[in-house]
Amino acid sequence: MARIRPFCMPKWGIEMTEGTLAEWMVSEGDAFSKGQTLCLIETDKITNEVEAEYDAVVRRILVEQGGDAQPVGTLLAVFADGEASDSDIDAFVEGFTPAETGVAAKSEKQAAAPPKVTEVARAAGGAGPAKIETNRPISPEALKLAEREGVDLSNIEGSGRNGRITYQDVDQALRPAAKPLLRGTAVLPSEDGDVFATPLARRIAAIHGIDLSRVNGTGARGRISKADVLALVVVDDPASLGARPADFVAGDNAPAVEPFDRIRKVVARRLTKAKQDIPHFYLRVTARADALLELRKTANLVLGCKASVNDYIVRASAVALARHPDVNIQVHGEEIHRFPHADISIAVASPKGLVTPVVRQADRMRIDQIAAETRRLIDKASAGRLSMEDMDGGTFSVSNLGMFGVEQFDAIINPPQGAILAVGAAIRQPAEDKDGSVVFESRISLTLSVDHRAIDGAAGAQFMATLKQLIEEPEGLFT
Amino acid sequence: MAKMMYREAVVSTIAEEMERDDSVVVLGEDVVGGMGTAGGPEAIGGIWSTSTGLYGKFGADRVIDTPISESAIVGAAAGLALSGKRPVAELMFADFIGVCLDQIWNQIAKFRYMFGGKSRCPAVIRMAYGGGFNAAAQHSQSPHQILTGIPGLKVVMPSTPADVKGLLRQAIRDDDPVIFLEHKALYAVSGEVPDDPEFIIPFGHARLSRAGQDVTIVSSGLLLGFCETVADKLAEEGIGCDVIDLRTTSPLDEEVILDSVEVTGRIVVVDEAPPRCGLAADINALVAAKAFASLKAPPQAVTPPHTPIPFARELENAYLPSAERIEAAVRKVLDWR
Amino acid sequence: MQLSRDALLRAYRQMKIIREFEERLHEEIQTGEIAGFTHLYCGQEAVAVGVCEHLDVEDKIISTHRGHGHCLAKGCDVNDMMKEIWGSRDGLCKGKGGSMHIADVDVGMLGANGIVGAGAPIAVGAALSQKLDGKGKVAITFSGDGACNQGTTFEAMNLAVVTNAPCIFVFENNHYSEHTGVEYAVGTQQDIASRAEAFGMKVWRGDGTDFFAVHDTMREVLDHVRSGNGPAAVEFDTERFFGHFEGDPQRYRAKGELERLREERDCIKRFRESVTGAKLLTDEDLDKVDSETLAAIDAAVTAARAAARPTSDDVLEDVYISY
Repeated sequence: MARIRPFCMPKWGIEMTEGTLAEWMVSEGDAFSKGQTLCLIETDKITNEVEAEYDAVVRRILVEQGGDAQPVGTLLAVFADGEASDSDIDAFVEGFTPAETGVAAKSEKQAAAPPKVTEVARAAGGAGPAKIETNRPISPEALKLAEREGVDLSNIEGSGRNGRITYQDVDQALRPAAKPLLRGTAVLPSEDGDVFATPLARRIAAIHGIDLSRVNGTGARGRISKADVLALVVVDDPASLGARPADFVAGDNAPAVEPFDRIRKVVARRLTKAKQDIPHFYLRVTARADALLELRKTANLVLGCKASVNDYIVRASAVALARHPDVNIQVHGEEIHRFPHADISIAVASPKGLVTPVVRQADRMRIDQIAAETRRLIDKASAGRLSMEDMDGGTFSVSNLGMFGVEQFDAIINPPQGAILAVGAAIRQPAEDKDGSVVFESRISLTLSVDHRAIDGAAGAQFMATLKQLIEEPEGLFT
Repeated sequence: MAKMMYREAVVSTIAEEMERDDSVVVLGEDVVGGMGTAGGPEAIGGIWSTSTGLYGKFGADRVIDTPISESAIVGAAAGLALSGKRPVAELMFADFIGVCLDQIWNQIAKFRYMFGGKSRCPAVIRMAYGGGFNAAAQHSQSPHQILTGIPGLKVVMPSTPADVKGLLRQAIRDDDPVIFLEHKALYAVSGEVPDDPEFIIPFGHARLSRAGQDVTIVSSGLLLGFCETVADKLAEEGIGCDVIDLRTTSPLDEEVILDSVEVTGRIVVVDEAPPRCGLAADINALVAAKAFASLKAPPQAVTPPHTPIPFARELENAYLPSAERIEAAVRKVLDWR
Repeated sequence: MQLSRDALLRAYRQMKIIREFEERLHEEIQTGEIAGFTHLYCGQEAVAVGVCEHLDVEDKIISTHRGHGHCLAKGCDVNDMMKEIWGSRDGLCKGKGGSMHIADVDVGMLGANGIVGAGAPIAVGAALSQKLDGKGKVAITFSGDGACNQGTTFEAMNLAVVTNAPCIFVFENNHYSEHTGVEYAVGTQQDIASRAEAFGMKVWRGDGTDFFAVHDTMREVLDHVRSGNGPAAVEFDTERFFGHFEGDPQRYRAKGELERLREERDCIKRFRESVTGAKLLTDEDLDKVDSETLAAIDAAVTAARAAARPTSDDVLEDVYISY
């Protein structure tokens, strides 16, 4: 029997209410196969390609490209296999009722109840959970998940006994392909017959130039362990530290005329509106970064991560936001929305333009977790594969141009957030020491752009004082 | 440094220790070989050539050729050890622990504890283990999972001639009973061995044979070489593997394993014994319990299936862990979503 | 060969200590104060003492689960043994072994053994060590009509013959392997020594309830083995006065069997009759030993009851010398 299926305006994330069909990549009568791009849909945040989830034929296009924005759930097209007659399609279009997925529709009916994740996922598919009939062995929870998410079991190889499909198998099938951050090989620490030490202890000792023959081993069977060596790691000459900024180089400034693409249009529209509507004010501090740069070396080694300076600043901002909830806000019309945790948007330059993926609940993450999450988001951004979920929300933004040698700058607030932090490069500068002599120290310029409608000067200043202290005394980032 | 084969490292270490210490005694089936035949003593000299020349040098009192009586061999080693000698007993095939497990499990492993710490049992039980020779189900096994689970024993699985030298010397000098597992397929492998007559590798001290920061691979014995091959191949793609050679499964070097997993967040354990209640499961459980926060993917085990070892070439090849399977497991943890 | 008065008194005291040790345990076990399995040697004292009176600390013995008699005869301290059976940390094995695993390698006692037949191969190893040392010392394994059916015993006998080890296999035929009669379980017409003979060693047989028969036989056996003639075996016919383990209802015994054995086959009773009949010792001499022995056992039990208990920390001690 012919199977007729609706193709509706998708719902990408909780805040999306409508979208614009920017371009159809298929025409009526075209057969398409799973994975083929069907169309481009633009929201106020992102333009996304929509891929086919199954093989079928485009039987009817109901919303042409380039028109007005359509509410989520609007029937955009009808797909079917070849057997359906035109009258079947007509009947289907007539009988179609959009699912109530819009925020407005929901809030009218049950404003108090937050939508459950499962409902959102189901709504995004445009239909309720489809019962899956299968004679393959599958765990009850795996079957529920597969039905809820509409997963095609034929593509899943069961990892359980006798090929039984587990929850983990379905969960893996639902996730995007992994893009592991590879850190590669390392120098093999040679075994030294006279010194009894673990490989990691040898590695740390080599990095810090510690003579193991003088280290007292407290590990198993008297062996020198990681902890024994770390206890001896002393602050080296700060001048030997890395992370020195490159000299500022003015980029090529020759004009090249190029029309805005869709993303740039969205960015332009939103930032213009932000700069025009929001009364910005700016708070600037300079923080000494020597302690942070020093601690970062050892901490990264111990935690087994490659956290960047920016990751530490995200962590510091998150901790400071947790202490100053007045700054951890969104502004919606004449409402201030305060959040219990800091979801920090990080400004990333992607091939498609500026994007701001969100590190969620960064105040609850360790530095290595922040580093891993940031890496994941940057990788996705570079590949142009950020999803709506990755960019949705955010209670604060961090924009860092330090890697370009930018000493300081003022950023435009990313609405509806209340503030954005602009981070400059770590610059070595002379300073007066306690005894009046001149010493060199690394300083980072931090500029907070603040929405004066919701955040007062004093609140912003207190936040900046905390942030400065956390950077200058970074031990607080590990508690 | 001198280049020698794994089997030469075995016999030279025994000879050196017998020379150094009169209490070291060798016993086992055909350790002399040819006794009672027209060919005479040493007509054979041990089927693995791991006792060649010892009889001629040290005589019948210290190089004791035994009948095919595994219980009596291990039992006699127990009695010798309790009486102050340092016996080095040989079981021709590790599979034969089935015949003499009582002496290993209920006797030598337990004396010191049962006797309230008032005895020493410095016995070394050497045995050839492992597959790859189409020797089928009773002559190819890797029984370290059984032996490692026995408190009171130390279990050694060297992977190189140098490790044989340092670990066997430690085994003979050790005051506790030691099971010394020699992989049949390694006997003819050559490597550099330190000349220092006091070169010793302490037990419980794993060796890092490749260094990398993306995946931890843990193995021992023959399979370690497969892991190194895989690590070298993946290094060309920028994938870095820490390859850990356990050297001893009891004591187990937890620290080196956990140190590594805390950096890589991914672990593949490669073992030649079947999967259930085995070394791979043990180490993966350790990692799950003590490095849970560091894990980026579920710990993986590459082991034979839960079957006896088959005979035919095709079957045995399918049974034993291969470099391909190890590589697939490494990619699986890297590609975990 | 005539024993001196001192030697006779000493032999009697040794047998009597074993007897009272076991009789007292039999009583104490009823109270539930002693944990685990206990297998009593009562009735077989003449064998342990008749053998061990010939040995010094450098000779080695290895025993069975029914090992108290061998331990005491070889010189294990009675107080430390009692404490061990009580599970004290001051026991001979710090409370880690208990009745079935009493050992003291310092006096040449390589352990009672909970596994039937396990001792024989270990004794061969100990004998090989004696052979290497070349001081004419021996190793003796005690086994019974149960262990004589274990393959390990056969392996050990053959290995001892092949290696010419100074090892002596002492078979105490007490007619019961656990709860099964020797008539059923030993296929060689209830004859154990012939098995050893078949392995190629010289064998002896003797009445295990007659101390003098055991003692004289063992003198010959030891002369043979100490002279470098390789292993030997000896079978003693003896009796077990209690069950296989304490609590055994002994329904396999004939009616009146135990009473008859105590009357006719009690080695201590026979010893007393023999030495007083021959006017070698008086009843007064022996009664004095009896009362001293009882007092010693009383003191041992009192001390064991009061001895320090092990702590949970002790669980982890003594698995390895270093790990």
